[in-house]
Amino acid sequence: MRATPLTSIASLAAVALLATGCGQGLLGGGDGGDTAKTNEPIVLGMLIPQSGSEAAIGPYMSNAAQLAVDEINAKGGVLGRKLQLKTADDACDAQSAAAGANKLVTEGVDVSVGGYCSGATLPTLPIFGKANIPMIIPAANSQELVDQKLKHVFLINGTGTQQAAAAEKWMTKQGAKSVALMHDNTSYSKDIALRTQTLLDAPGGADTALIEAVTPKESDYSANITNVLAKKPDFVYWTGYFQEGGLIARQLRQAGYKGSIMVGDGSVSPKLVEIAGPEAAEGVYATMTQTPDTLEGAEGWIEAYKKKFGAEPGPYSNQAYDAVRLAAEAVGKAGGTDGAKVIAALEAIDGFQMFSGPLKFTPEHTLSNGGFQILVVKDGKIILQDSLK
Amino acid sequence: MTQLIWNGLFVGSFYALVALGYSMVYGIIKLLNFAHGDLYMLGAFAGFAILGAVGGVSSSMALPVLLAVLVVTMAVTGLAGVALERIAYRPLRRAPRLSLLITAVGASFALEYGMRAAAGADPRVYPLRLGGSSLEVAGARLTVAQLVLVGVAVVLMIGLNLLVTRTREGRAMRAIALDPTTSSLMGIDVNAVISRTFFIGSALAGAAGVMAGAYYGKIDFLMGFLIGLKAFTAAVIGGIGNIPGTMLGGLVLGLLESFGTFWLGGEWRDVFAFGVLILFLTVRPTGLLGERVTERV
Repeated sequence: MRATPLTSIASLAAVALLATGCGQGLLGGGDGGDTAKTNEPIVLGMLIPQSGSEAAIGPYMSNAAQLAVDEINAKGGVLGRKLQLKTADDACDAQSAAAGANKLVTEGVDVSVGGYCSGATLPTLPIFGKANIPMIIPAANSQELVDQKLKHVFLINGTGTQQAAAAEKWMTKQGAKSVALMHDNTSYSKDIALRTQTLLDAPGGADTALIEAVTPKESDYSANITNVLAKKPDFVYWTGYFQEGGLIARQLRQAGYKGSIMVGDGSVSPKLVEIAGPEAAEGVYATMTQTPDTLEGAEGWIEAYKKKFGAEPGPYSNQAYDAVRLAAEAVGKAGGTDGAKVIAALEAIDGFQMFSGPLKFTPEHTLSNGGFQILVVKDGKIILQDSLK
Repeated sequence: MTQLIWNGLFVGSFYALVALGYSMVYGIIKLLNFAHGDLYMLGAFAGFAILGAVGGVSSSMALPVLLAVLVVTMAVTGLAGVALERIAYRPLRRAPRLSLLITAVGASFALEYGMRAAAGADPRVYPLRLGGSSLEVAGARLTVAQLVLVGVAVVLMIGLNLLVTRTREGRAMRAIALDPTTSSLMGIDVNAVISRTFFIGSALAGAAGVMAGAYYGKIDFLMGFLIGLKAFTAAVIGGIGNIPGTMLGGLVLGLLESFGTFWLGGEWRDVFAFGVLILFLTVRPTGLLGERVTERV
């Protein structure tokens, strides 16, 4: 039969419709569909910033997650099924994050392993919750995420409270007398600064000289630094991200500040040293959960990452990697991707080895041990100073 | 106190350089060129690329090399500004003002995310940086590099002012600002003059971009956004369209920020600076040196 162009287009369209119909039927299977899709991959969804101000972070996390997926698949996958990673952009913005979460849900994601900006992760909690998808959040760590006591939400990054405690411990150990706290007015950064202040306000030890808020994304912080130096502190703690952290460390030293500088976990990146310049960065301390650099036996991991992506791992690479491994572990223990069973498996996990140490969740679904330690910049490299054990 | 003034003047001279391009373009075709801050970003990246191509330079040669890079970058961003005008703004010159404004916002996004696609989202760090020793002058700590940068900014601004007030080219610009139709009847090539205005304004923004890159070190694809807003504010404070007013506006904004931070703390800085701006504009809507609305330059 000689098909006219029109009819062939029509039949193509019909085939396409059928195909999408099938696809939706399979993907939208939901609970109890496990037996029907034993050969389907287990889909992990990851919301990360791929555009907007935090776009630099996205690849660190998605690359590391992909590395974990490939490693697990190379060993045969989980329950005989392969893992598959799907990413979506949250642009560090609530509306984009909600749209991205809905997209991942319709794409049939089984476990969510994303979440970097707390403000963007918060609106995605009910979206994944309604679809009965467990969330393992690698980086976002605002207290608000766990305050609602949602069953499906698990944080594998240390919380602000734990970080503040580590910071205060190190300041006391260093004999600091007068501490200047600097934050960038975002909820994450301000939270750590205020919690540190509360701890410092307790009698004895160091005192808070001032809390100074800066505007992120600028280049010149000389006005803030003039304020800080007017109080003559002997310890400055910056709780924001590395772009400003590098500039602040540099400009503090240029202004003649001789005391100690410490930065929070958002600032731990080789870029911090690069931006500050080697001389200004030398001796800067950081509060940080365990990283590939400070973990014994992780050299191989860094090598594997570099080989695959041609770049160094960065902030939250290790947490993203662990989130995927943890998801695979929980699905394996649960014997399938049913949301309730995976959640139960996550709650039951005890002693699973991660970069942050052996894992056991608190009833709040946070790490029982934040695992914060003190790093220091030495000869341009960020190395372990004190594990605060 | 002198430290606060110096901090404010230093930041303000960056604002002023970027604000001049805003002000000139607005003065001549009444367009708020929202992509102007991104030309500053483009300048910073162009300088970065040129420095990378030049290769290793010893630190004793840093200043002359950076000045050479500055000149080349000004040419590059100037041409980019001309292209921007030709592609995005000239076809819309007779369209409603709002369409032009939206096009400018679009051009801004295109430049930002185009740069992200080309250079990546990671911040870059200049291979050559102006550090240098600091000296105390009247209780303020300042560095030689800062003095040089402010010097370069002042030279550029004086040059621009001479160009606009003393040359035929400048007279043509002022004539078009007053009345483009009559100017073209008098034999002025309006399109060419507008192109040249974009060239000069964009070159100044590019110069500021290289200076920021060399002094602060860090550049990224969104670095033009905030300074674009600040420069716009500076232009409005000084009287948009008025060149000495715009320079003054940049310095005033820098000082407002510096003193706002000192008096009220960092989180109140912008509230203070922009609150003063609102108050000021309700009293004097034309800005510091702005004259009657019909006489913008």
